[in-house]
Amino acid sequence: MTAAPPRASPFRRRRRAFVDSAMTWLCGACIAIALLPLASLLFMVVARGAGAMSWTFLTHLPKPVGETGGGVGNGLVGSALILGVAAVIALPAGVGAGLYLAARGDGATGRAVRFLAEVLSGAPSVVVGIAVYALLVRPMHRFSAVAGGLALAILMLPMLARATEEAVRMVPRDLFEASLALGVAEWRSSLWVVARTALGGITTAGCLALARAAGETAPLLFTALGNAFWNVRPDQPTASLPVQIFDYAVSPYPDWQRQAWGAALVLLLLVAVLNAVARIATRARLPGGA
Amino acid sequence: MRRLPLVLLLLAACHSSTQSSAPAPSQTLVNGAGSTFVFPLLSKVFSDYTRVAPAVRFNYQSIGSGAGIRQITDRTVDFGASDAPLTDEQLAKAPGLLHLPVVLGSVAVAYNLPGKPALRLTADALAGIFLGEISRWNDPRLAAANPGVELPDLAIAVVHRSDGSGTTAIFTDYLAKVSPTWAAKVRHGTAVRWPIGIGGKGNEGVAGQLTTLPGAIGYVELAYAFQNHLPTVELQNASGAWIKPSIASTTAAAAGVDLPPDLRVSVTNSGNPAAYPIAGFTYLLVYRDQTDPVKGPALAHFLWWEIHQGQAEAEPLLYAPIPPSVVEKDAAKVQSMTLSGKPIVEG
Repeated sequence: MTAAPPRASPFRRRRRAFVDSAMTWLCGACIAIALLPLASLLFMVVARGAGAMSWTFLTHLPKPVGETGGGVGNGLVGSALILGVAAVIALPAGVGAGLYLAARGDGATGRAVRFLAEVLSGAPSVVVGIAVYALLVRPMHRFSAVAGGLALAILMLPMLARATEEAVRMVPRDLFEASLALGVAEWRSSLWVVARTALGGITTAGCLALARAAGETAPLLFTALGNAFWNVRPDQPTASLPVQIFDYAVSPYPDWQRQAWGAALVLLLLVAVLNAVARIATRARLPGGA
Repeated sequence: MRRLPLVLLLLAACHSSTQSSAPAPSQTLVNGAGSTFVFPLLSKVFSDYTRVAPAVRFNYQSIGSGAGIRQITDRTVDFGASDAPLTDEQLAKAPGLLHLPVVLGSVAVAYNLPGKPALRLTADALAGIFLGEISRWNDPRLAAANPGVELPDLAIAVVHRSDGSGTTAIFTDYLAKVSPTWAAKVRHGTAVRWPIGIGGKGNEGVAGQLTTLPGAIGYVELAYAFQNHLPTVELQNASGAWIKPSIASTTAAAAGVDLPPDLRVSVTNSGNPAAYPIAGFTYLLVYRDQTDPVKGPALAHFLWWEIHQGQAEAEPLLYAPIPPSVVEKDAAKVQSMTLSGKPIVEG
């Protein structure tokens, strides 16, 4: 039996239209509220940081109070060095763990690894810094870029493992089985077929993890410490942008506070570049998106 | 893997563009960490000292006094800096550690009142306000010390530090000395259980509250009060004189004080009639017996320079230099430093 669809009365139709537009506006307002902190943060950092920005600011060492000029060159180089160490440690381990979880992670071991990764990602970053201090800095009697890199790597690991797993799980299982059917060994199929297909997603995960690690201050205070001079040796105390921002921001001198805003803008741009690289890498690898 | 080249590129770009100012690899890096308070001064002093000793670079990182003590105890740095001396318990874990007072800091009591009237507070009144016993600006206990000043009928908003800090340690050390109630109820330390008030993070947080909140009173380092143009309270010192916080009255706090042999002493509530009562030493912490043949002598020679020529750097940056009586004691300490048993600096 087919009944004619009930006709909506003009009143009901107007009510629906009203609710519809009200909801649209409400959602729009919610988006605006969610974006407001981000927009105001961006605005503040750009407005107050742009004044400090110059080539000198990017390429010179800090100057003491009362002397004009000076920059955050040591922090830029130091952050790059520490992030480089962190990437070397975290990328193979994190991506490897993600591949394992995607391929064999349904058993008890996989569940345990996943649970531990979740616990680790919930640990406050300062705790990771103190752990690395106790493990590496104190026994060696020295602060170093390696210690800082290790602390950041530990923070990146769970993010990388989970994101890699997600990316790899998106790859159709047929591809993996096809490779096996051609007689390719399982490990080779995993790395050369599955991981390669998921490379866009993995690259994105790596860049995002690096971008997050780039802004960390707490774990670096007690591992990399900081350095007022140029340093490219991984076994020496090393400067980083977040620690420099922190030092300058709490000082009583307007000139240093201005430089803190400038350094914050540099850090923001660095993170933006990392994110952009992640996007471009994804698109270049897989036309049509991953 | 693909962002490694990027990182290397960045490294190369930054490094090549600044090759001229990069140090030769033979340069020695002496590392220190600790007090946030003394960081701006030390960064200036170390920068100027490179003209005296170009082969040595001093790298100082401000991670807080407590952390500085911890690092020099663990020997992860070559020297430490702290706004408070080590306790007996801490010193037992760092045998042979020397305390060298290099500069004095003071804590200004700043306030926000309409019209910015000048304000005087007795020690009792100050303790009463921070205990919450005096809660309005027109309280008769405040009026007595401020004849001719029209104090408004306004609630007092107490602002204190929310984070642990050397500033709080000096401030509460003073209150515990002058107020038995404070000594019994709140005691002193880098962080205490405040009976009243709102917290601000760091000196900049407290200064921020003070500039925006009418009726507020709080304590900040002298440099912050000056830089933020906050009005400061004139306090009555132990001799009964009314003293404004200033560089001269801060230095006076350490003059005429009986210094114990290890120089660990509190100079709050000083007996000197010209002294501002809430002041304290900032110490550099070094081991008497140095082992590194390059860093040891570099440190000792720097310390000798710092307690003599280096003192001139303090005042322009709103730090109080140490009085000559303390310089003498410091000099003896520096002369007692040894490298593998041999003295480093001759008198």
